[in-house]
Amino acid sequence: MTAPATATAAPLGQRSRGALIARVLAAPVVVALLALGTTLWLASLELDSIEKRTLNANYIVDRVREHLVLSLSAAALVALLAIPAGVLIHRSQSRILRAVVLTLANIGQATPAVGVVILLAIVWKTGFSTALIALVAYAFLPVLRNTLTGLAEVDSAIRESALGMGMTGWQVLRRVELPLASPVILAGLRTSLVFAVGVATIATFINAGGLGDMIVNGLKLQRYPVLIVGAALVAGIAILIDWLAGLVEDFARPRGL
Amino acid sequence: MANSVPMALDGLGTFLDRRSDDLVQMTTEHLIVVALSVGIATVLGVGIGLLVWDRNIGRSVAITTAAIILTIPSLALLAILSPLFGLGWGPTVVALVMYSLLPIIRNTVVGLREVPAPVLESARGMGMKPSTVLIRIQLPMAWPIILTGIRVATQLAIGIAAIGAYVAGPGLGQFIFRGLSSLGSKNALNYALSGTVGVVVLALVADAVFILITRYTTPRGLRA
Repeated sequence: MTAPATATAAPLGQRSRGALIARVLAAPVVVALLALGTTLWLASLELDSIEKRTLNANYIVDRVREHLVLSLSAAALVALLAIPAGVLIHRSQSRILRAVVLTLANIGQATPAVGVVILLAIVWKTGFSTALIALVAYAFLPVLRNTLTGLAEVDSAIRESALGMGMTGWQVLRRVELPLASPVILAGLRTSLVFAVGVATIATFINAGGLGDMIVNGLKLQRYPVLIVGAALVAGIAILIDWLAGLVEDFARPRGL
Repeated sequence: MANSVPMALDGLGTFLDRRSDDLVQMTTEHLIVVALSVGIATVLGVGIGLLVWDRNIGRSVAITTAAIILTIPSLALLAILSPLFGLGWGPTVVALVMYSLLPIIRNTVVGLREVPAPVLESARGMGMKPSTVLIRIQLPMAWPIILTGIRVATQLAIGIAAIGAYVAGPGLGQFIFRGLSSLGSKNALNYALSGTVGVVVLALVADAVFILITRYTTPRGLRA
C-alpha cells in the first residue's frame, strides 16, 4: 500500500550501468540476506510451545498461500476491471467524466487502506470476500488513472495516421494506442500489485488470514520470533513481487519505446 | 426504510458532538506526528541527496535502498520496529521517516541534477566554490522539485500514520481501530467513518497548504 510516489516522481535522467545492475540485483540480494538472517537468528533460539505451534512449515505455507491468493486475485481483478474501464472512459471523450474520475482517484489515494478495510467489514461482514473487495477498490484507482494518462499521452498525429491507413477505431486502440500506453499502464499495475500485497497484511484485522496473522499474533502474545518471521516473510514477498513486476515492465516495453 | 438514512446521520451528528474533543485531539496528534516525521525525513533526505547527487554509486545505493524500504508493508515495518522502539510514538515516527525518505531523496537528486550546465558554469565563472554553487544556486533552483517530494512524502505519511495506531501510535487511526474493536455496536461505524474521513480531509488540506507553500517559497525568477 505504500508505493504511490511513482505518479509524481520525476524521471532520473539517463541511467548509468552501475545503477542498472544495482536495480536488477538489489532486491534479490536484500531478500536473500533477510531470509538468511532470519533463519540463522531463529536457529539460535529455544522456541516455546506457542512459538512452535506457529513456526512450522505447514502453518507458514498456509499463511503465505492465503496472502498470495488474496493479493494476486485482487491484482488480477483490478487488471480485468480497471483497464477496460479506463479505455471506455477514454473513448467516451467526456471531459467531465474524466475530471470526476481523476478527482476521485486523488481522494482515493488520500484514503487510508486500513479505514477502507475496516469500514467495509463494519457495514458488511468480516472475512475473505470483504478483504478482496476492499483490496480491489483500493488498488483500482492507480490502474484506472494510469490507463487514462497513458492513452491521453498518445500523440494525436499517430492516431490520425493509423486511421488514415484505414484502421478501424478498434484496431487503432488495440494495435497502436494500447501498446504505446502500455509502459504507463504497467507501471500502474505494478503499484497496485505492491499495494495489494501490503493491504493484504491488514486483512488479518477482519479475519481474512494471510501473513498479517503472524504479525498480529506475535504482537499480542509478545512472541517476537513469530512477529519477526511474519514481517520478514511479507516484506520479502513484497520486495520480490515489486522486483518481478519491474522486470516484466522492462521486457514488455514495446521495442520502439 | 425511508427514515433510516436521516436517522443514521442523526446518530453521527450526536456522535461527533459528543466526541468532538477527542476528534480534535487526535487530528492534532496526527498532524504533529506527520509533521515531525516528514520534518526529520526532509533534513535526512535532502542531506543524503546533497551527498550523493553527483556520485553514480552512492546515488543508486541511496535510491534503491529507499525504494526497497517503501515496498515493505507498513504493518510489517511497524511490527519489526516495536521490539526496538516500544509502543506508541517511537515506532510510528521511525517508520514514517523511513517511508518518507524515497520521494525526498529522489526529488532532491533529480532537482540538483536538472540545473542547466550553463548556469553552473556562469556561477563558477563568477568565482564561486563548488559548495557555494551547490548551496546558493543549485539548491534554490531545485527547491520546487524537492518540495514536490516533501508533498508526496506528507501524503504517504498521513495515510500510513493511521496504521501506527495498531502499535499504540497517535492520531486518527485510534478512531478507526476503536471502530473495529466495537464491531457490532452502534458506534462502530461512527468511529471508523470519522477516523477515515478525518484522515482524507487532513490529506486534502495538507495538499492545499503545500500548493501555497510552493507558490510563496519558489524563487522569484522561477515562478511561472
